[in-house]
Amino acid sequence: MSGWRQFMAILRKDLIRELRTREMIISMILFVLLAMVIFHYAFAVKEDVDLTYFTGGMLWVTFIFAMLLGLNRSFAQEKDERCLDGLLLCPVDRVTIFFAKTAGNLIFLLIIQVVAVPVFTLFFVQRGYGADIVLFVVVLLLADMGICALGTLLATISMNTRSRDLLLPIIFLPLIVPLLIAATAATTTIFATGASFGATATRLLFLLGFDAVFMVAAYGTYDFAIGE
Amino acid sequence: MKKLVSAPVLFAAAGVLLVTGLLLAFLYSPIDASTMGYSQKIFYYHAPIAETALLAFGISFVAAIMYLRSQNDKWDRLGVVSIRLGLLFSILVMATGMIWGKAAWGTWWDWEPRLTTFLLVCFLYTAYFVLRSVVEEEQRRATFAAVFAIIAFIDVPITFFATRFLPAGMHPTVITASGTGMPGSMFFPFFISMIGMTLLLVALIRRDLVVEELRDRVADLKHSIGG
Amino acid sequence: MPLEIEVEGLRKTFGRREVLKGLSFGLERGGFLSIFGPNGAGKTTTLRVLATLLTPGAGKVSVAGHDVREDPMPVRRTIGLISHNPMLYLDLTAQENLRFYGDMYGIEDRDARIDELLDRLELSHRRYDVVRTYSKGMRQRLAIARAILHRPRVLLLDEPHSGLDPRAVDILDGLLAEIRDEHTFVMVTHNIAKGLEWGSRLMIIENGRIAYEHAAGVDPDAFVAVYREHVQEGSVL
Repeated sequence: MSGWRQFMAILRKDLIRELRTREMIISMILFVLLAMVIFHYAFAVKEDVDLTYFTGGMLWVTFIFAMLLGLNRSFAQEKDERCLDGLLLCPVDRVTIFFAKTAGNLIFLLIIQVVAVPVFTLFFVQRGYGADIVLFVVVLLLADMGICALGTLLATISMNTRSRDLLLPIIFLPLIVPLLIAATAATTTIFATGASFGATATRLLFLLGFDAVFMVAAYGTYDFAIGE
Repeated sequence: MKKLVSAPVLFAAAGVLLVTGLLLAFLYSPIDASTMGYSQKIFYYHAPIAETALLAFGISFVAAIMYLRSQNDKWDRLGVVSIRLGLLFSILVMATGMIWGKAAWGTWWDWEPRLTTFLLVCFLYTAYFVLRSVVEEEQRRATFAAVFAIIAFIDVPITFFATRFLPAGMHPTVITASGTGMPGSMFFPFFISMIGMTLLLVALIRRDLVVEELRDRVADLKHSIGG
Repeated sequence: MPLEIEVEGLRKTFGRREVLKGLSFGLERGGFLSIFGPNGAGKTTTLRVLATLLTPGAGKVSVAGHDVREDPMPVRRTIGLISHNPMLYLDLTAQENLRFYGDMYGIEDRDARIDELLDRLELSHRRYDVVRTYSKGMRQRLAIARAILHRPRVLLLDEPHSGLDPRAVDILDGLLAEIRDEHTFVMVTHNIAKGLEWGSRLMIIENGRIAYEHAAGVDPDAFVAVYREHVQEGSVL
């Protein structure tokens, strides 16, 4: 199926480019580690403050802002050398471009999360339980999907405007708040109270619903976002 | 028929209904039995303003879809006008909500679902105008704005749901006033205000649409003279 | 026989500016249309509409029998665009770039075709180098490979000779000569000599309209006079 071949071609191209230059990944990882230090000083107003309950929040805020950095970068590259024109000249469904870009962004986000999560938990989580890792990974994947889908759609729009870097946070952040609420609540429940599936079920379902709704919305509007 | 629904008539009708609603609220409805007392009366405006704001955003959602399908500028104008009014009404919702909160419970702000949702709504639709301001070409601006308006409107109920049901350790919401199980004596003024507010919205939309269209025509003329 | 390119009443507006004010022309299969005109006349816009990168505001445009607005996908399969932007990914190698486009166009014999083109364009020795290390002439050559990779029937050229070193010009001309038959060309150019040399039809677009249209074989001096009149003294934005 040619759609699949095209999807893989775009994804492969983005991955090769990123692995070769490592522009996005390095800045995102540095950002995440620095954020950790900044959070420590932002919250350590008393001796021995226990930030376990805040770890979920800190992680997701960090990921969302790191993603904003990454999204700006990934589309700036297409605008250089008018590569976007080259892409649009191809007989490819615009939606295939959307899925491929979202998948690429998802992979980059997962890479930095693999680094960030152990580091954050090491530094901030002070409880002893084995948190349910599998459940956490599910939360991670569901939330990541939403962030990447919405982020890719909005970055496509913002890269076509005058002040692209500045616009993306403004249009992205208000929309992502519900996802942030769900992801943070679920993560905190898992890390700070060692809870299991039952407690997080509502939030998981919500994330799933959020992803589905915005995927469909992006599918329907992407032609308009990327055109002309 | 056109005369009957022209803007001045609508404004008049809206005005009459709103004032009536207000009078009824103060003279006819009982004083709220709970601790809120008189301050509860702000509900008769607060809730209709909220629902009207959402109605305005709903109109913008439909306008956005219609614009994407037809590329006709009039839908873009409707979108701008309804979002601008929706934003204005949302700010009023927050203002009345905060006044009510202060009068009834002593705090200006509480992170309760409705206020928080409207706060986010304000940020969301302000972003709509920021987006419009950084796209120079008219057709592209309208297209992007329409895409954003669609996404934004979908997000409103999602945001409300999230703020209501999801946060960790959230105490159940204290405000329970906006239910449908209102006794008749409370429902009637509320209903009047509701109609009045909706008419006000329609009147404002009509007037603003005319202004927007004139503005566009002036810009066109200026451009063709070489201004 | 149906025309390969048919344009009828093409209008295009950007915001308030009407860039194309009703163009109509046709090009038979195998023809070579050279388009001249002052800057801002709408030449590149016309090319971009043919390339499906822009939708017509009004009017009907069809390429290779398909309407660019209703049916852009088949059009994309049959056209190749060479513009002064090479549309290449700088951090990828020549091979990776061509493989990417090969996959995007669904080319069956992708690798063989890439080998063939890299040879023809004298780039085989640099196929594993990232494009960032290429000179401008080399990038343009690779861009040609990108444009004809999928064997398009129609080639759209936007000032293809500009900025090329003599060697690259020779290679480009050699390539064009080789594929001249069985292909249809539309070339926007400021280079009168090349335009006259290659074109079977000549056109001057000025201010969004066709100011001059003629089959080839005109007296070069006469043409230069007309050109001067429209392009150099004609209205420029």
